[in-house]
Amino acid sequence: MSVVTDSPVHSSGSDDFIDYLNEALDASSPNSSSDEEAENQDEFEDLSRNKRRKLESTEETEGSTSEGIVEQKLVVAESSVVKVDGCTHPGTFGKLCISCGEILDGESGVTFGYIHKGLRLHEEEISRLRNTEMNTFLFSKKLFLVLDLDHTLLNTTILGQLSSEELHLLNETDSLEAKGSLFKLEHMHMMTKLRPFVRTFLKEASAMFEMYIYTMGDRPYALEMAKLLDPQGEYFNAKVISRDDGTQKHQKGLDVVLGRDSAVLILDDTEHAWMKHKNNLILMERYHFFASSCRQFGFNCKSLAETKSDENETDGALAKILEVLKQVHCTFFEKLQGDLVDRDVRQVLSSVRGEILSGCVIIFSRINHLALPTLKRIAEQLGATCLTELDPTVTHVVATDAGTEKARWAVKEKKCLVHPRWIEAANYFWEKQPEENFFIKKTTTQS
Amino acid sequence: MFFHIVLERNMQLHPRYFGRNLRDNLVSKLMKDVEGTCSGRHGFVVAVTGIENIGKGLIRDGTGFVTFPVKYQCVVFRPFKGEILEAVVTMVNKMGFFAEAGPVQIFVSNHLIPDDMEFQSGDMPNYTTSDGSVKIQKDSEVRLKIIGTRVDATEIFCIGTIKDDFLGVINDPTTV
Repeated sequence: MSVVTDSPVHSSGSDDFIDYLNEALDASSPNSSSDEEAENQDEFEDLSRNKRRKLESTEETEGSTSEGIVEQKLVVAESSVVKVDGCTHPGTFGKLCISCGEILDGESGVTFGYIHKGLRLHEEEISRLRNTEMNTFLFSKKLFLVLDLDHTLLNTTILGQLSSEELHLLNETDSLEAKGSLFKLEHMHMMTKLRPFVRTFLKEASAMFEMYIYTMGDRPYALEMAKLLDPQGEYFNAKVISRDDGTQKHQKGLDVVLGRDSAVLILDDTEHAWMKHKNNLILMERYHFFASSCRQFGFNCKSLAETKSDENETDGALAKILEVLKQVHCTFFEKLQGDLVDRDVRQVLSSVRGEILSGCVIIFSRINHLALPTLKRIAEQLGATCLTELDPTVTHVVATDAGTEKARWAVKEKKCLVHPRWIEAANYFWEKQPEENFFIKKTTTQS
Repeated sequence: MFFHIVLERNMQLHPRYFGRNLRDNLVSKLMKDVEGTCSGRHGFVVAVTGIENIGKGLIRDGTGFVTFPVKYQCVVFRPFKGEILEAVVTMVNKMGFFAEAGPVQIFVSNHLIPDDMEFQSGDMPNYTTSDGSVKIQKDSEVRLKIIGTRVDATEIFCIGTIKDDFLGVINDPTTV
């Protein structure tokens, strides 16, 4: 163990030296930190020029330099006519105001820990940033897109929960270099399958949208998934929001997204997580690749992995949603009138949605009365008109049983008799589905 | 700023380490415990450079652990308000940029970046002057002034500014 023999400071001296320096530097800085913000540019330059001259002339003795600076500053301060403005404290980093360096103990503002640990921004600053962002992105014709991970872009399972028929997957995992879609994460004991078409989806969407990931997983998981989806870091750099970064438990919000609500679209499979922003949400059909995922939602059928099949790449959910996004983007930028900043993507979304079943007049028969209000709301959002009494204008009867009075009327009048799933399918696929696929058989009780 | 000072610490040692190598064990335990930690008064302990003195050990009642008061010399790093530092930029975004000076994280918000520097997003986000002569991007070296520091349990946070004379990117003489 080597001992430094001539260390410049001894135990008794070190504390004094530190205190001395403390005092010296603190004496000169309170004036400078408050005056810097308040004084205008010219006086500021004079100050620093004086400081420079002082430093050049008295280099050896630090004590006199600092005293000299203090004197000079006091002189300038007295002669200046400006009043010292308070700092607006636009945000904090590690509890220090980012503009004046003061320690702020309050917890106001929103944490932006996903950008950098310890960063918090206050309301005014967030609005200011949102507005400057808006201008940049509208100028480059980009909107904002918030993407969920689980069941939307990928499906993850814990290695221990793989069913016996899925064990063959352990040998089929891809490496990241192979640009595959099945990955094993040993250190997290997880296996992840990316949804078919996801890479093309991300590439094409990135040309139209500034993308964020917002997941209810924790931060290490979110960052791992971002690495799988975006190995180059070109889409989601510093835009991965996990549940540790959200402001509310069990709820997702757009308060941590630096884009105005009127320009953000959300892609998620869980409507319940976005209670405050339902109008921005595009609901995705859930991706169940693993059996554990099916079981989690109460499905007893075989998972895609067990049947060794997968969602259709070019015809699947992501491909369809990409078309919808392109349509909304195009409508927002080309077809809407008025100033770019006044346009609202939510209006575009609801108008696009309202065209899907426009012209359809629907009547419901023997639907579970708990599910009926939701079904009615979805149908109306999709542009259909819902009636309660039979009428010659009715085009579709939605029922679960072919034996009801309304159902028999439909068959007699040659109207379409479909299962409620026809409405749900239209909602997920953003397209009116062929009614033939949803006909109800007369004798079966469930279709 | 770096300082080379003497600090004292009470080290507890388990009886299994008693024997010929007691002193070495004590020293390596000290290094493991203290290097990389932070305190408000001294700042960040970068490295232990030597042991000045190890006092007599006191056996604790009830357990067999022995407490040694150890005086050791170490290099510490403590940023001061008003200090000028050189730092390496680690992340640039529209709110400002983050830089690192050793173990210290410094944030320079765009309020404290000269008004003639604009943020450019893209592959390599950066701040550039209107004539393109000065650019701050990831891995650039900047000279900044600390305007506030705060010490946490394990980290030191600083706020810096480059809105002063002689602050900003340290010019690379080969490109000028």
